[in-house]
Amino acid sequence: MTELDDIDALAAEFVLGTLSREERLAVTERREREPKLEAAIAAWERRLGPMIETVAPVAPPPHLYNKIRAQIGLSSHVISLKAREQQLTRRGNRWRNAFVGVSAMAAAAVGVLGYRDYVNQQLPTQFVAVLQTSAGADQPAFLLTVDTKTHNCVITAVKAPKKVDKSYEVWMIHEQLKAPKSLGVVAEGDMSVMPMAPGPDMDMFMNASFAVSMEPEGGSPTGSPTGPVLFTGKLVQATP
Amino acid sequence: MASTRQQLDKLLGAVAKGDESAFAELYQATSSKLFSVALRILRNREVAEEVVQEAFFKVWERAGDFKPEIASPITWMAAIVRNRALDEARRRVVRPFADATELEDIESEDEHPLVAMELREDVERLLRCMDGLEPEKKEIVRLAYLQGMSRDALAKRFDRPEGTIKTWLHRSLAQLKGCLEQ
Repeated sequence: MTELDDIDALAAEFVLGTLSREERLAVTERREREPKLEAAIAAWERRLGPMIETVAPVAPPPHLYNKIRAQIGLSSHVISLKAREQQLTRRGNRWRNAFVGVSAMAAAAVGVLGYRDYVNQQLPTQFVAVLQTSAGADQPAFLLTVDTKTHNCVITAVKAPKKVDKSYEVWMIHEQLKAPKSLGVVAEGDMSVMPMAPGPDMDMFMNASFAVSMEPEGGSPTGSPTGPVLFTGKLVQATP
Repeated sequence: MASTRQQLDKLLGAVAKGDESAFAELYQATSSKLFSVALRILRNREVAEEVVQEAFFKVWERAGDFKPEIASPITWMAAIVRNRALDEARRRVVRPFADATELEDIESEDEHPLVAMELREDVERLLRCMDGLEPEKKEIVRLAYLQGMSRDALAKRFDRPEGTIKTWLHRSLAQLKGCLEQ
């Protein structure tokens, strides 16, 4: 009869699902750097995989797909923001120049650290505020992203159903401000990019609350919110 | 059947390029099967939902890593779901199903034709090989794979020392491997 060697037996039990938590963690770590183990796991997934055919399908709740979509929408959005950022970098915006020294140092480190480490170190520190109600899928949603490395703030309307004669206006609210400060009118597909200088204003921005109100077309005529406030939110850290 | 396997391959290929409608189709075709797989291991709908959500997010992000020459689309996706579900199950105390009726309750949906056809030949071969195992050992392999029972849990269930279960598992798996390679 066929005997399994140690690697094959470990891979088989990993796929079968009989390992303890500690053993699973060890295999999860080892498979990354042991091609033989990885290949053995793939082979066992292929051998045992057809067993799922013997279980009857169970439909997940209908809202699950929307959750997944929202998660993906957010993710592809971050990618498009990154692309936009690179575009801005190429244009050599002034706010970027202060960081040329830092970039040069980072570039010099590439040879020592290797590309993967370099990419990890280059990950921007991003903060995100998602301005959205939980009421329903077709409610408007806005995404406010701040990158503290590039000092760039991006406001995007992820979803903003067009209302006749109405505009969505984004506001910053902070105890040090006498009144909400307008960050501008945002329509669906719009992406408004604001370079921000580090300093007290940026600190205030990071701790502020943000709100979206419904205003007459083109924005509030008075400079303060006049229409109903649809939702508010604060920045949360999006990357470690 | 080759054509359906190719359809899922094609959907995954399109998903790798960021095609959202292909992703929706892939979800339609596979989510009921994958949710069922997660539910059986976790026995908790909320946690199973989270696991399936994470798994589909991973499928979206990693569809480019899928290698049709190594795995079929559904086994690749099922592996992602099972890995997450098993890791999650080991982190928490999994409540056993109260009785058999609860399991039957959740077996209600019809199989999506794409998934059913992709697996048909492989399933027949695997089931034939499993039938070659002694009944008790076949049951152990099934419980481990479908309900994520650990060696420890199997030892209690079958009232045997864990070492015996381990030996049985290794022998059964070796026998299956030999049979499948014939």
